[in-house]
Amino acid sequence: MHRQWNLSVIDSPRPVVKLEHVSKRYGAFDVLKDINLSVLPGDVLAIIGPSGSGKSTLLRCINWLEPANSGIISVGDVTIRCEEVPEKSRLTALRRQLGMVFQSFNLFPHMTVLRNISLAQERTLGRSRKEADAISLNLLDRVGLADKAYQYPVRCSGGQQQRIAIARALALDPKVMLFDEPTSALDPELGLEVLAVMRELAGSGMTMIVVTHEMGFAENVSEHTMIMAEGEILEYGPSREVIRNPKTERARRFLRAVNDR
Amino acid sequence: MTGADAAHIAMGIPMTLGLTAGAFAIGSVLGFPVMLARSTGFLPLRVAVIAVIAFVRALPPILWVFLIYFGLGSGLLNLSPFVAALSAFGLIAAVNMAEIYRGGMLSISSGQWEAARALNLSRVSTWTDIMIPQMTRVALPPSATYVIGLMKDSAIASTIGVTELAYRGKQMSQITFEGLSAFAVVGVCYIALSLPVAWIARTAEKKLRAKVAR
Ligand SMILES: Nc1ncnc2c1ncn2[C@@H]1O[C@H](COP(=O)(O)OP(=O)(O)OP(=O)(O)O)[C@@H](O)[C@H]1O
Ligand SMILES: [Mg+2]
Repeated sequence: MHRQWNLSVIDSPRPVVKLEHVSKRYGAFDVLKDINLSVLPGDVLAIIGPSGSGKSTLLRCINWLEPANSGIISVGDVTIRCEEVPEKSRLTALRRQLGMVFQSFNLFPHMTVLRNISLAQERTLGRSRKEADAISLNLLDRVGLADKAYQYPVRCSGGQQQRIAIARALALDPKVMLFDEPTSALDPELGLEVLAVMRELAGSGMTMIVVTHEMGFAENVSEHTMIMAEGEILEYGPSREVIRNPKTERARRFLRAVNDR
Repeated sequence: MTGADAAHIAMGIPMTLGLTAGAFAIGSVLGFPVMLARSTGFLPLRVAVIAVIAFVRALPPILWVFLIYFGLGSGLLNLSPFVAALSAFGLIAAVNMAEIYRGGMLSISSGQWEAARALNLSRVSTWTDIMIPQMTRVALPPSATYVIGLMKDSAIASTIGVTELAYRGKQMSQITFEGLSAFAVVGVCYIALSLPVAWIARTAEKKLRAKVAR
């Protein structure tokens, strides 16, 4: 009995992303107010909330695209105290564990699809061109775009470009994938093909933090959902509970507005 | 005017070409750090560079040629007319190329910088793999236009005695009293020089375009 209790302590998984008292200001404007958040390995967390509530900023603080003003950010075994200016090597170590997918895809237009996915593998992981291309082709196959390898991104639809962007991020073997409204710039139909890839990724055990307006994805794919408003976490919990029985009036108002659309 | 007279004028081609190519090379290289300084987040430096660029552009090229040749050249350094003209046009080209590069850089969406950072690409890789190839593409047509303009401006160097095309045209018109035909030869030489530049630029641009649109 005693032994078992000990084991369960050892076994309890450590969060792979942990934010403690993270705050972010733009001038006098508090975008993020004392955010605390833990994401366990394999967890899929959906972040929803009204426009301007700080969802993108939160994601961008996690991989330090935007420096937070205070608090502690941990990803895997890298911990950054936001008050200090982190050394470059720590930022690299932090970002190495994080893949990011943007609303506007941000592919490099002057490179083929294959090169888009291989470049960073060669430059940051030291893979050879051959190794990198093999991995890229594999990933393209996984997102259903093997035939696009030698095309340029302009020749791909938005949905295809976003799937390529996902493959590009996955190629660096991240521990956690961050998605910032990956389907918001897409027609509903094209959004579906991206969501299908994300659903498959979630099923494969990838840890994901997804800022989204897709309530279906939040409710059916992500284990946890967090609702943000005015830089604060209004609600956090198992997705179904948060979406069906929100505790705060502000969250209810937001969900009503989403459902009325 | 004899064929030998025309040939005498045409012998100014290497000088015109050397002055233009040299100034353009100086401008292309120096323009890059100037552009970086012009875009820096460090406000005092940015303001200083913006002021310098405005100042260099505000004065007519002939004044820069005089300033460097008679100003710098008389007291401190002993500059040959060619070196003085090269310095003046190199300076002017540097600030103009910096602005052309900046246009190229502004054409790249901020999302690409973020993607490069999120992918952990180093600063060097971000520039050489992502930014410079795209900037080059955007900067190519205005650069070609600029280099042709630079070549025409280089005629100003004749005023301090650089023996380039315009200088030789003037010389020949004074010797032969056939101003019209002397300067017609000069004109033909300028056209002969600028056509290939325009052609190369167009071909290169078409090639680059075809690559992206394939
Ligand atoms: N660089 C910046 N400078 C100043 N204010 C900013 C900056 N970036 C974002 N903000 C402000 O911070 C707030 C939060 O922005 P953020 O982009 O994180 O919101 P969001 O929840 O992602 O909204 P949306 O759903 O519209 O994407 C907004 O009010 C925004 O105007
Ligand atoms: Mg956003």
